[in-house]
Amino acid sequence: MRVWETSHLQDTLPTGKTTSEHVYDFADSQANLEKIQHHFKQLKTRLVLGLVLGFLLPNALLSIYFHYQFAHTLKNNAKLNLEAVAESQKNSIDIYLQERIVNLNNLFHSKDFTLQPTSEIMKSYLQNLKRFDEAFIDVGFLDANGTEIGYAGPYSTSDINYSQETWYTSLISEKKKYVVSDLSLGSDKSPRFTIATRQEFDGQIFIMRASLNPDKLYMFLRSISHGKSIDSMIVNRQGQYQVVDLSKIPFQGTSTFIPPYSSRSGVEEITSDDETVLVAYSWFAETPWALLTKQPVSVVQTGMYLARSILTISLIVVSLIISIVIYYTINKLVENARKMAEKGQQLQEMLAHASKLASIGELAAGVAHEINNPLAIIMATSGVIRDMLNPEFELDHSDTAINKELTIIDNAATRAKGITKKLQDMGKTSSSSSLPCNINSLLEEVLNRLKKTEFKSKKIEVVSQFDPMLPNIMAEAYPLRQVFGNILINACDAITEEGTITISTQTTEEMVCVTINDTGKGIPPEDLKRIFNPFFTTKAGGKGTGLGLSIAASIVKYCGGTIKVNSILGVGSSFTVQLPFNKHQLTGSHGKEAKRIQSTIGR
Amino acid sequence: MDTLRVLIVDDEDDFRETIVKRLKVRKVLAEGVASGIDALKVLETQDFDVIVLDVKMPKMDGIETLRHIKKLKPEIEVIMLTGHASVEFGIKGMQLGAFDYVMKPAPLNELLDTINQAYNKKRGLPH
Repeated sequence: MRVWETSHLQDTLPTGKTTSEHVYDFADSQANLEKIQHHFKQLKTRLVLGLVLGFLLPNALLSIYFHYQFAHTLKNNAKLNLEAVAESQKNSIDIYLQERIVNLNNLFHSKDFTLQPTSEIMKSYLQNLKRFDEAFIDVGFLDANGTEIGYAGPYSTSDINYSQETWYTSLISEKKKYVVSDLSLGSDKSPRFTIATRQEFDGQIFIMRASLNPDKLYMFLRSISHGKSIDSMIVNRQGQYQVVDLSKIPFQGTSTFIPPYSSRSGVEEITSDDETVLVAYSWFAETPWALLTKQPVSVVQTGMYLARSILTISLIVVSLIISIVIYYTINKLVENARKMAEKGQQLQEMLAHASKLASIGELAAGVAHEINNPLAIIMATSGVIRDMLNPEFELDHSDTAINKELTIIDNAATRAKGITKKLQDMGKTSSSSSLPCNINSLLEEVLNRLKKTEFKSKKIEVVSQFDPMLPNIMAEAYPLRQVFGNILINACDAITEEGTITISTQTTEEMVCVTINDTGKGIPPEDLKRIFNPFFTTKAGGKGTGLGLSIAASIVKYCGGTIKVNSILGVGSSFTVQLPFNKHQLTGSHGKEAKRIQSTIGR
Repeated sequence: MDTLRVLIVDDEDDFRETIVKRLKVRKVLAEGVASGIDALKVLETQDFDVIVLDVKMPKMDGIETLRHIKKLKPEIEVIMLTGHASVEFGIKGMQLGAFDYVMKPAPLNELLDTINQAYNKKRGLPH
């Protein structure tokens, strides 16, 4: 808790502004400290958020971009790979089929070929074929009607007519040189497929046909689909499975995916209920079959999932570390800056305190000087009287002469009394209570008094611009008369011989505003900050005590108002006094202040 | 013996005039001026042995006046007149070449003693 005497001194001191404008204000250091803390708290939040967002957001966006780019590339590679596998398997099987067709066709050109082959010849044909491939099961020789006229094989069949078989019709009607049939089940319930070729002898068509075991085809499919979770299968144009892994797919089932016949090969992504798979296809050259290769996308992306996990974890860890580093660094920096700002604030307070102490010294010096001067006059003058009474000096010691000296002593004593009275006025406005007070009429009153006294010696034009709607303020008239009287006397003193003093009143939101302008010599900037200090004066000895503005400032402060001064050297000065006119002003916060002042003075 | 010439510089008219009056009856050639500027003006045409200089004066204060006097006429002894609370100006004055300082309000005898000591110093006599 500040004691009144000190706070009063502090408050009557200007706060160190050196510009040519000076506002008499009452800043609170605690509020400043809180402002600093709030400012740095905000700064810290903004810095942390900015840096974390500035770092993390682009990082996250970049990671997401690379992740999708990576997934896309990975899938494309898998598609290309799958298509290549399909083509390679198809080529192997194509070559195999071509070889078997050539094997069969060569029988037409063997040396023991005849148009009516005996069973021995047919047997030698079969042996001949089996030499090339064990997959040959049987061999048959057909006439143009499709009737088998020669056969060798495990089945005891003869004179079978094949004219209704699909392969036969396509061989005859489409005039193909050879044909490979779809797979079917033989009489022993094992799968097989048929190869047939045709030749013309003397305008007559003859057909050589052979059944083959598809085991080799299975082998081809299995040989390539190693360890990549790739399933291979052969389908016909209707999508019926021809060669499949029987452990996974039933024989002669139908594929859900039917490859388009328009392009030779391709790859597609198919989503079924349980999973997404990549399917590549490649059409055979020798038969209307397509080789399909399937691979689940999840298998393709296994590597990516791992990479993604590593990337995500490292991103989180790095982000966390960097965030922590950013947070602590900023925290430390801001904390240091805050401490420095607080130290600065403390330093300012110390300076204010020092200047408070200095002003006590200044006040004491002022009091001493102001009281000592009349005392010195009294001492010197009483010495003169003593000299008069000393016969040695032979001076005039008549009643008139002594009375003249005594008058000097009286004047000096009156001056000293005046100073002590003014000092009392600084702390006390008046004991009487506040009444509604019209500032316009109060100013008129003060002006009328001054026109008869101070203003008389100079040619001063007084211009009054009063706001007729000015509201009354709750205040005591006597101290306010002092405020405006002191300012007006200073304005008059600032004018050397002739000039103008303009007084205007106006109303702002909650204040009555009085402006007093003079066309005097102005106040030098270095003096401007000291004009409210007690005993600061530029007037000659005995002419001014340096208390006028100091008293004015303390009264205005007591009323809850402000006092402001603007000055341009050689042009003039302008004092603005603002006083609150809300009727609760003395029962609000200023009321407390007033009570405190009264109680301290009463001690 | 030459007559002692003293210049009193003080803006307090009553004080200055009274001191001048009292010094004069004590056979001192005393004169008074109200400001530092006036003092420097008088020094252009007149010589003095001792100057009694008030510290606190408007416009040009005692310290500044002392600087000018010491530049203009360094042989003149100066006595600073200070208040109780402004002794430091007296000391500062001595650092700048003043002979001594006297605190206001001082009895005339004390002031006269100091004036005489300064006068002796100026004449090269023991002081």
